[in-house]
Amino acid sequence: MADVHFTNVRVFDGGGETPFTGDVLVSGNRIARVARADRGQRPPPVAGATVIDGAGAFLMPGMVEAHTHFSWNDQPSLDSIQRMPPEEHILWCAQVARQYLDMGWTSCVGAATAKPRLDVVIRNAINDGTIVGPRYIAASQEITVPGGLGDTTAPHLPQHEFAFGAIVSGAEEMRRCVRMFAKYGVDQLKINLSGESITGMPSEMSQFTDEEIATCVDEAKRWGKRVAAHARSTWSIKACVRHGIQVIYHASFTDTESLDLLEAAKFDHFVAPGLAWLINTCHHASQWGLTPEVTRRMGYHRELEAAVESMKAMRRRGIRILPGGDYGFAWTPHGTNAKDLETFVRVLGMSPMEALLSATAWGGPMMGHGKEIGYIREGCFADLLLVDGDPLTDITLLQHRERILAVMKDGVFHRAPPLRSPGGTTRYGAPASVTRWAA
Amino acid sequence: MADTLFTNVRILDGTGKQAPYAGSVLVSGNRIRQVGRSTAAITPGVATVIDGAGATLMPGMVEAHTHFSWNDAPDLAAIQTLPLEEHVLWSARVAHQYLLAGFTSCLGAACAKPRLDVVIRNAIESGQIPGPRYLAASQEITVPGGLGDEMLPHLPFPDFSFGQVVNGADDMRRVVRMFLKYGVDSIKLNLSGDNFVPGADAKTTWMTDAEVAAAQEEVTMRGRRIIVHARSCASVKQALRHGIRLIYHASFTDEEALDMLEAARDEVFVAPGIGILYALLWEAERWGVDHAKAVSMGYEEEWAAACESLKAMHRRGVRVLPGGDYGFAFNPHCQNARDLELFVKYLGFTPMEALRACTLYGGQVMMRGHEIGLVKEGFLADLLLVDGDPLANVGILRDPKRLLAVMKDGVFAKPPPLAASRQWERAA
Repeated sequence: MADVHFTNVRVFDGGGETPFTGDVLVSGNRIARVARADRGQRPPPVAGATVIDGAGAFLMPGMVEAHTHFSWNDQPSLDSIQRMPPEEHILWCAQVARQYLDMGWTSCVGAATAKPRLDVVIRNAINDGTIVGPRYIAASQEITVPGGLGDTTAPHLPQHEFAFGAIVSGAEEMRRCVRMFAKYGVDQLKINLSGESITGMPSEMSQFTDEEIATCVDEAKRWGKRVAAHARSTWSIKACVRHGIQVIYHASFTDTESLDLLEAAKFDHFVAPGLAWLINTCHHASQWGLTPEVTRRMGYHRELEAAVESMKAMRRRGIRILPGGDYGFAWTPHGTNAKDLETFVRVLGMSPMEALLSATAWGGPMMGHGKEIGYIREGCFADLLLVDGDPLTDITLLQHRERILAVMKDGVFHRAPPLRSPGGTTRYGAPASVTRWAA
Repeated sequence: MADTLFTNVRILDGTGKQAPYAGSVLVSGNRIRQVGRSTAAITPGVATVIDGAGATLMPGMVEAHTHFSWNDAPDLAAIQTLPLEEHVLWSARVAHQYLLAGFTSCLGAACAKPRLDVVIRNAIESGQIPGPRYLAASQEITVPGGLGDEMLPHLPFPDFSFGQVVNGADDMRRVVRMFLKYGVDSIKLNLSGDNFVPGADAKTTWMTDAEVAAAQEEVTMRGRRIIVHARSCASVKQALRHGIRLIYHASFTDEEALDMLEAARDEVFVAPGIGILYALLWEAERWGVDHAKAVSMGYEEEWAAACESLKAMHRRGVRVLPGGDYGFAFNPHCQNARDLELFVKYLGFTPMEALRACTLYGGQVMMRGHEIGLVKEGFLADLLLVDGDPLANVGILRDPKRLLAVMKDGVFAKPPPLAASRQWERAA
């Protein structure tokens, strides 16, 4: 692997300070050197390295998506996820994985998969080079109860293949289910602790007994797996803290007690609210029959208000809030995930700096990689984005593929920066150019 | 889609009649718009110009016997131990590799799980994955004990088999209908055995006429094609009797079989899969099949018989095509162009005839002879730019470095390398 030397870039290193002009040397799959240019000297050239003259572009760590569903298929219903046959489904997941990397997400945390092995297979295929995609934490299906979110079987079609969740009832079934996913090789178990209004069971309601939750956590721990919970209701948030469930998705409805509990254990938990789902379901889904009147009746407008207040409160209390918004439905299509950062700034009142940190520095521990991911520091993984413009001035830049000039993962360009050549020649394939093969 | 103009190339048109000539070729959209005998640019305009500097421009090759889902393992049982999800991704990767290896069209000769071929074909056609033009096959349909039945006596579960095991004409009809429902282009029947299968060697024949007739009736009714694994003499004749037009292997023949083949030569294609016979006989020692074992399995006898049969077919004007059952450890994917070398070395083909078998005849076996297989105006722009002269050495076609560029449907799957002398600088 040839070394890559980024020169003349503005470096946002994940530490929360003002970006500095400098150069970054990537050696193998790691960052070998970070140097500031504003201290008086030009960076020494590096023999054999490919030089990328950034011309002042913004170099930042690759982003981490904290709530990813590669297998959600951009359809308008939960039902249609399961109508996709497994062969098509795995190709779809591979396509989406590439799309995430393309959009600057060099790490993703799987938040549930629609068929038992999809996430595991995709993670393995990324790691062995069969397909292209981000670093990935593979999830189980959503473990749920009969009638809960994820049980999409119909009374007259009770076959479990119709459900995108894994349906269990009782501690022993829970244990069997966790063991099956552990056998398949997931990194993270997903458990649905609360309802979800669109399914008919309101988000304020909760499901599972303490015994079932305890069994899930206990069995996951035995296998060295992490647990993540769909937890919109107050009770379910408290259950996460009580049972030591590290990853809390949504956390819409809080009370003082749940916030106190979370704050007291704030370094043990990550919260990814998935606000895009709430916002878009409330306001941008009319085309699919979900008009604001309909979603107001469902309770989503109330939930959105509650979630915004909860997140503001958590932010004040220093609880880590991460982007990742349940993308993969018709009204939250894959690839638009960086909208979450804009939402963090506009709706939750984060500074652009905080929003960037939530997608970088806080993502490293979320990926289980501490400070190896999410920083531009010597020794960190070389997951880098070269951005045209300053996301600290305009956080929406990161939503545009063309503004992300280059994506590097693990020291290799997934997307190399565009070429510029002084002699009037252009990149291969452009009109009116002459290409000679090396004769 | 930008137009592409190849200038200064040696055109090998794929007809097998025309000696290569210097010229230029204009691709417009996904078709070849103009073929000129001048090395000068045909039209300046807005085309991307590829100066071939004398390289050979030839039609993309056609593989007549492809198994994307065979997983480069040393035995048949290993094919089924790959789970479904991994199998799809494997097949997708192999499809891409075939395209990069210069095969712009492939004819599926059977897949290992019911829908693999169909799904890969659809994904290629929708642009989701890169791959050659593809005709999707069914699994191998076989009978209990035949090639493709991998069930063990104590584990009698159909999922262990890469083939679909049928028994009787009604059962055949049901399985054929299932595959037609899934959307296959071809139904594969295993009429003969195979030396790789103990107890079902290559000279044995397995299906009843009633079973074959039931399949043929269903397939004909639905406008699809039957393709057959037929190594034994009796199975070749059975195929011809039932009007089956694509015969794989055809190792053992007699005078009657050859006469039948010759009589049907305008309709019949034979793709012997010669590569795997050669590999098993001479190159499989690392995987537990040394030469002595291969001889005892019957491969020496089959190799000799196949060479005689195929030479005779070639003399009689029967179309013999490359496609060699690649996808085993000893016969790995993407070495497929070696078949051409074997055709020249052992079957009495001239290099020109060998190339014609994967170009002109290839378009015909894909059932698109009017638009695939030639460098000709109006044909689909499936083209290879080759460093050197394949007529002087057909072996260069399996050297990735000599395959300078691969174009399918007017788009480069493998773009030509840039001139090395040029310095490029990246900048934001």
